[in-house]
Amino acid sequence: MTKKENQLLKEINTKFKTKGRIQREHRIWVTINEKKLTEICKWLKEKGFEHLSAISVTDWLEQKEYELTYHLWSYDDKILITVKTRINRNKPIIESVTSIWGESAQIHERELHELFGVKFKGNKDLLPLFLENWQGPAPFRKDFDWRDYVREEFYDKKNEREKVYYD
Amino acid sequence: MIEEMEPAPKNSEYDLYFGPAHPGSGNFGVKLKIDGEKVVSARADPGYLHRGFEKLMEYRTPLQNAVLSDRLCVLEPLNWNLIHAEAVDELMDIQVPERAKYIRVIMAELSRIQSHIIWYGVFSKGTGFDTGFKMAFGYRDYILDLFELITGGRVYPAGYICPGGVRRDLPDNAKTKILKVLEKMKPMIKLEELENPALNARAKNIGILKLKDAIRLGVTGPILRASGMKIDVRKEEPYEVYDQLDFEIPTRKEGDAYARYYIGIEEMKQSIKIVKQALEKLPKGEVIETSLKKPKLSSKIPEGEVYVRNEIARGEAGIYMVSNGNNTPYRVKVRGPDFLHMIPVLEHLLKGVQIADVPAVYWSLNICPADMDR
Amino acid sequence: MVKRSEKAKTMRKLIKAIWIFNWFNSCGFAELVPLVGSRWDMERFGMIIVGTPRHADVLFIAGYQTQKSIERAKRVYEQMAEPRVVIALGSCTMTGGMYWDSYNTIKKLDKYLPITMYIPGCPPRPEAVFEACEKIFEHVKELK
Repeated sequence: MTKKENQLLKEINTKFKTKGRIQREHRIWVTINEKKLTEICKWLKEKGFEHLSAISVTDWLEQKEYELTYHLWSYDDKILITVKTRINRNKPIIESVTSIWGESAQIHERELHELFGVKFKGNKDLLPLFLENWQGPAPFRKDFDWRDYVREEFYDKKNEREKVYYD
Repeated sequence: MIEEMEPAPKNSEYDLYFGPAHPGSGNFGVKLKIDGEKVVSARADPGYLHRGFEKLMEYRTPLQNAVLSDRLCVLEPLNWNLIHAEAVDELMDIQVPERAKYIRVIMAELSRIQSHIIWYGVFSKGTGFDTGFKMAFGYRDYILDLFELITGGRVYPAGYICPGGVRRDLPDNAKTKILKVLEKMKPMIKLEELENPALNARAKNIGILKLKDAIRLGVTGPILRASGMKIDVRKEEPYEVYDQLDFEIPTRKEGDAYARYYIGIEEMKQSIKIVKQALEKLPKGEVIETSLKKPKLSSKIPEGEVYVRNEIARGEAGIYMVSNGNNTPYRVKVRGPDFLHMIPVLEHLLKGVQIADVPAVYWSLNICPADMDR
Repeated sequence: MVKRSEKAKTMRKLIKAIWIFNWFNSCGFAELVPLVGSRWDMERFGMIIVGTPRHADVLFIAGYQTQKSIERAKRVYEQMAEPRVVIALGSCTMTGGMYWDSYNTIKKLDKYLPITMYIPGCPPRPEAVFEACEKIFEHVKELK
């Protein structure tokens, strides 16, 4: 059952000098340096990982880093591999993967640019997607607390019935 | 003497906004550039329903999130409930009892039947066949009555499928009622009675999506099966008890609007088959893991990360959950199928169609704007 | 002959039948569209759905609104002709509801539009919508 996963993990560990792990059947997790990201993505696409499921960003506030995760699925081998890298939180810039996966990568990167502020070099269309006339900071960062913002903008502390929101 | 009119100047394009207040478009807008009667290019305009779901889940514990998770898409609430419960189960390493797994499969398949009935109804309304619309919403009410009997709510089941199992057991008369309702669904799955020559003429050879384009644009679900590829997450990596049930996967090769509508009807037949098998095989036992019978709101989630995939009615859904030891998750990423179907695929398919065919292409993609904006 | 004010005269025109323009957000779609179907038939009371706000008497706002969609709802309201009535469905229009801590939704709808009646519920049942329409008819009959 896990023969294919073991074989694939051995190839990746020797070729890119990483230490990946197998979590369970059908799941492999690999961490890599951001400079080698385009190289490993091209190699994986030629191996048969032609479906890009999702791209996501996690904000680690204390370590001052953003962690990007790319989830890829192969229709032939039936394995899901997740590639993780880390970039600086104050100046988040990274290469785009639209040259490898086309429009499905471009729309994920456009959403992350609006919500987290990450710049993707090589993506031609990074206009705002969901918000219109938004002047504040990038909404999903950890230092923008939504409950403080909502209590200041929308609710009134002196109103008797709205004291519940201030507990 | 009749004067001759001059022909229209070349490149006389104009803008048309097929927007959110139009009764045939839902909560979503598309900006079209039109030359005469043909669409030259389209640009999607999302964001009318954006609540920021992923960060709302970071302020609430997993049991509170189970109630919030069925509002991700109002047209199929129990399927989203199921995928969120699976993600928390895997992260906290909980063993779900067998009876609960069968009940989860029954509720998810009933929700899939109800969602395909809505798809049939709005697709007929978009192409002008009004009888189909009224008939579909009449039959859907039988299934909503079943939901009210088992879970307590017609549309939102208030977190019935929660981490650890399901909240309460099926009532005693549920099995006979479910079988009676499935008998009544027979007119909805007879294709010869549902078709109309006008619907066929408006749907065949319109909005063709080829297989190579579909894989490049990230399409999943019934739309990918209508273009020729036989892929279903329930057969590739089976979850719950799908590996012990027997069902088929319908596919077609043409990829036009008629093929997608045909697959919707065939999938309803397969779902009815699955529910009947699961009702026969239902074992006895507990319905929730014993340590979670009295829920404690402040239990901590162990550190780790998971990625769970499911097949909901519209395609492939995914949840990526990260935890760092507190009692609320640190980051939740929700991947919905409509995010890809509504923006790149719609812009690709609307090039070159006539204005009168725009609703037929639009509604055959089975869209849900709430799932796209989150 | 009973003497009635100008406002009472125009509002009594509403009693015969009311035409609805549905500005529904996602939660309202799943509970208002069955009203048109064959089980909770609303055409027996004289109510139909029209496609443009210029023909409508009643505007249904069903569900939460965001900053982007409240601008469009205001323009739709301005295009309706007198006499006009606004009905708000759901608990998200009253206090913010389940998304009270979201940065993008509107918490109290009556700061943007004048509302005649609220219908609570999450989402409200179809029978509640019929009872609300009946209360509007009674209110109009009692106007002087």
